[in-house]
Amino acid sequence: MPESNQSHRSVGRYLVQLAVVGVFGFAGLVWVLGWLAGLTESTLADAVDADAQTVTIVVAEEPPQLDSSLSTDTSSFMVLGHVMEGLLRYGKDGGLEPGVAERWEIGEDRATFWLRRDARWSDGRPVTAHDFVFGWRRTIDPANGSSYAFILYAIENAEQINLGKLPVETLGVRAVDDFQLDVSLQRPVAYFDKLVAFPSYYPIREDFFASTRGRYGADADTLLYNGPFEISKWIHGARLRLEKNPHYWDKARIRLQAIDAAYFTRDPSTQLNLYREGRAAVASLNVETVETALRKRWPISRFASGAVFYLELNHRPERPTSNLHLRRALSLVIDRDELVYNVIRTAGFVPAPSLFPIWLQGANGPLRNEIPVPPMKVDVDLARHHLELAKRELGVDEIPRLMMLVTDSPTTAKEAEYLQNIFQTRLGLDVAIDKQIFKQRLAKAAAGDFDIVVSGWGPDYDDPLTFGDLFASWNQNNHGKFSNAELDRWVATAQTSLDPGHRVFAFGQIQRILAEEVALIPTYEPGSVYVRHPLLQGVVRRAVGPDPDYTNAYITGES
Amino acid sequence: MARAPLSPLDFRPAERGLQVDPILRPSLSYWEDTWRRLRGNRRATLALVVVIALLTASAVGPVVWTVDPSAQDLDQVSKLPWADRRARIVDGAGAADPSLPVARATGGSDPTGMDLRIVGEATTKSVVLEWNLSDLASGYRVYRHIDAIAGGEPLGLPLAEVPIAGPGRFIDRLNLQPHRYYYAVAALDAAGEEQAASTIIPADVVRVLSEQEAIARGFAASKIFPGAEVELPFHPLGTDALGRDMLARLIHGSRVSLFIGIAAPWFYVMIGVGLGSLAGLRGGAVDQLIMRFTDFVVALPFLLFMILFKIGFGIGPGESGILPMLVALVLLSWPGTTRLVRGQVLQIREEGYLEASRLLGAPTRHLLLHHLVPNVMGVVLVTLTFAIPSAIFTEAFLSFIGMGVVPPTPSWGSMCNDGTKTMLMHPHELVLPATLISLTVLAFNVLGDGLRDALDARLRSRE
Repeated sequence: MPESNQSHRSVGRYLVQLAVVGVFGFAGLVWVLGWLAGLTESTLADAVDADAQTVTIVVAEEPPQLDSSLSTDTSSFMVLGHVMEGLLRYGKDGGLEPGVAERWEIGEDRATFWLRRDARWSDGRPVTAHDFVFGWRRTIDPANGSSYAFILYAIENAEQINLGKLPVETLGVRAVDDFQLDVSLQRPVAYFDKLVAFPSYYPIREDFFASTRGRYGADADTLLYNGPFEISKWIHGARLRLEKNPHYWDKARIRLQAIDAAYFTRDPSTQLNLYREGRAAVASLNVETVETALRKRWPISRFASGAVFYLELNHRPERPTSNLHLRRALSLVIDRDELVYNVIRTAGFVPAPSLFPIWLQGANGPLRNEIPVPPMKVDVDLARHHLELAKRELGVDEIPRLMMLVTDSPTTAKEAEYLQNIFQTRLGLDVAIDKQIFKQRLAKAAAGDFDIVVSGWGPDYDDPLTFGDLFASWNQNNHGKFSNAELDRWVATAQTSLDPGHRVFAFGQIQRILAEEVALIPTYEPGSVYVRHPLLQGVVRRAVGPDPDYTNAYITGES
Repeated sequence: MARAPLSPLDFRPAERGLQVDPILRPSLSYWEDTWRRLRGNRRATLALVVVIALLTASAVGPVVWTVDPSAQDLDQVSKLPWADRRARIVDGAGAADPSLPVARATGGSDPTGMDLRIVGEATTKSVVLEWNLSDLASGYRVYRHIDAIAGGEPLGLPLAEVPIAGPGRFIDRLNLQPHRYYYAVAALDAAGEEQAASTIIPADVVRVLSEQEAIARGFAASKIFPGAEVELPFHPLGTDALGRDMLARLIHGSRVSLFIGIAAPWFYVMIGVGLGSLAGLRGGAVDQLIMRFTDFVVALPFLLFMILFKIGFGIGPGESGILPMLVALVLLSWPGTTRLVRGQVLQIREEGYLEASRLLGAPTRHLLLHHLVPNVMGVVLVTLTFAIPSAIFTEAFLSFIGMGVVPPTPSWGSMCNDGTKTMLMHPHELVLPATLISLTVLAFNVLGDGLRDALDARLRSRE
């Protein structure tokens, strides 16, 4: 017995030793790791620095690449808007300003741009009309497969070239000399000045492009900049740093010396933590983090993104949603107010009664005033009546299970579960949720593999047509293949007419047909609330164009 | 010590019925002994109670607590159980009654002359604000705060920008909860910059239900009249971000979690015992074949196969992935048990009592049923109890990443995933399912530990 006690005691001592070594070893390891992390962190500046005029921000996603003819996402457009400049650019108040072009004339079948002579690339050489010709040809060249090629279709031969029926050299754009750009238009375009501010119209210099050997836009050193900033550091997956471009023609306007996108994250809690620790100057808030911001007494700003979200319905004949009565029934049970104010609950979101968001301008004033939207009321009884008619027309006792395709994001996931419940309880419909990542969601929507898809559309240019042509039968983004000859005619009218009043009338007709046919069910216009460092001033948020825009921003010294 | 010489007496037959060493205590079978020792282990007993309680709750829970786990109560979103549940019935759609008195800020003069006021009663349906228009402003921005604010402090959450063209009126509907809010309106100049703000006006929001809503919620008709006070349904563990009952979701979620957690190990341990004893007993080519196949299966990646099965079964998006999960778990997890059982069988095969039994002419069936299986049983049982928590974890993980159940079906893993989104303000939505996962896993682990101790013959001899 004494022996066994002895052994117990020695085991106990051994355990104590092990525990002590373990605890101290772990503490030491943590300390060493913290010290190592401090070495790398020490290069990070504060969120704002008034002396150096630098700002550190969070960007939701890293741009996949920055070749302006191929970019499609808002993160890329935001960065491109800071490092590049088109013929025209968006100013502080959201209006258009001269960019590389000093002046311009736009007629019925042609447009001419006179370029300023002091516009420079970041290597000091002048920006010429040839750079625009090269950039536009790259966008339209079918070999490059640009998703935004259609935005050039107003130019002569553009559509034919993109379909591969004409050589790319036949594109109706010509450099008369180094500083004059002539454009032949396929049809009259009332909004061509707004189009050329879009990134797909940015210049690309041919000799530099050739020197990158197919890696143009992939890294900081395979890009040439003509905008207010240039990328000084691009560590993929970690950081993107912009510094003031010394060769920019309008550099007196630019007060910030550097914009440091030091974090890529979409998560609101992470963004709020970075803001709280003074490591990021801006953080967007969700329904959870907004309460923290309120309790901390931080000033909160609100911003409407300009986009509109809607349920796209599949109009292919084999789908039950091709039945008008079923679409009406679905539309009649959705309470947009409840969806926005009680389910999504984020300030900045507004219920949307129409495909045309509230901020669009008509001929003389807001478009919404010129083409009013009939009020939408929830009417479950009428919806059930339409559902019965739909069942009769489809010749079924029960509507087959409907597939609702959504993007895997917290907001849309919640929205989808709410809608699933609404369709189940109010109409007795069986709805399955198909949650996919954004890219896959787009691919499945394009393939028509859905009954209902939660879609959104942000404006590309400042004209109602950027929304108005979405449901034209030829539009690639009309995923449900809605096809209506009358609507197509009105879209064509809006495209070619130069008379503002007539165009507004056409938009009114488009809105009426979409509502009558329930081509889509508009749900909400998303927005956001965010906190911004009080010393950071002059940041422009806008619906159309690069957002947020730091080109006019500065850091005040006073607190 | 010298021995006495043997005598013929020593060789006479023993008398029948002579009790030499009477067994006074009742005989104890192997399982009775195990049970006795398990009960002696306090931790294991507690774990067993927890396991039984969980199984009972998931079996009879839906009968006792009949709330629909997917019913959304949007008037009680992300609420804790002790939150105020009172609501008043109002007629019509619940719009503010314009005949009701107008509430103004009391005390202190308003230098802007906006005279911000709340029209009618502030309810969870809407709060109607009105103010006087000024000639100098180009628009107004409406703010709402959850705390009283001092002068100069930020006004709170910007709700909307109201153009000058409209009336000085704004209806707030955003996520109104029954407590006090503080409203303010700031005038904007032509450039959109904020000018002086109005006085801050508090609004005590009361929760109301319209008559239609009250009917839809199934309140007794006698209770529904304007002005009546009702209590919204009670949620013993609170609600989630869509106002769904947490208790009902946890009970229904436990069915998925425990089903996978028990069914999958049960099946694959059976396969493991079968293949393992076959390999151990037969040996030779059969052993080689089975064990090499086992090595092959061990190398297969689980997640990939789970996805392959999902496609192979023709399970489209929006359909439950529970069946492919079960199949993938069963088909890919048996090698561990097989190796263990084979090892045990190889060891027991060489034991003396087995040899003796074989020499006495016992058939293979007898050897298997009376010697091999009972001796392997302990190991198998322990493996089974340890396999259950790992299967529950796998289910939770797969549902967390969205490979398991589909909405609105709950499972503990998918509830955790939902809970992470509201973790900062409403931690109960994450803590409850996470605690249940931890508790279940811990209980099965402790039980397995206790069983191993109870079944171990070597420990027995030390007592």
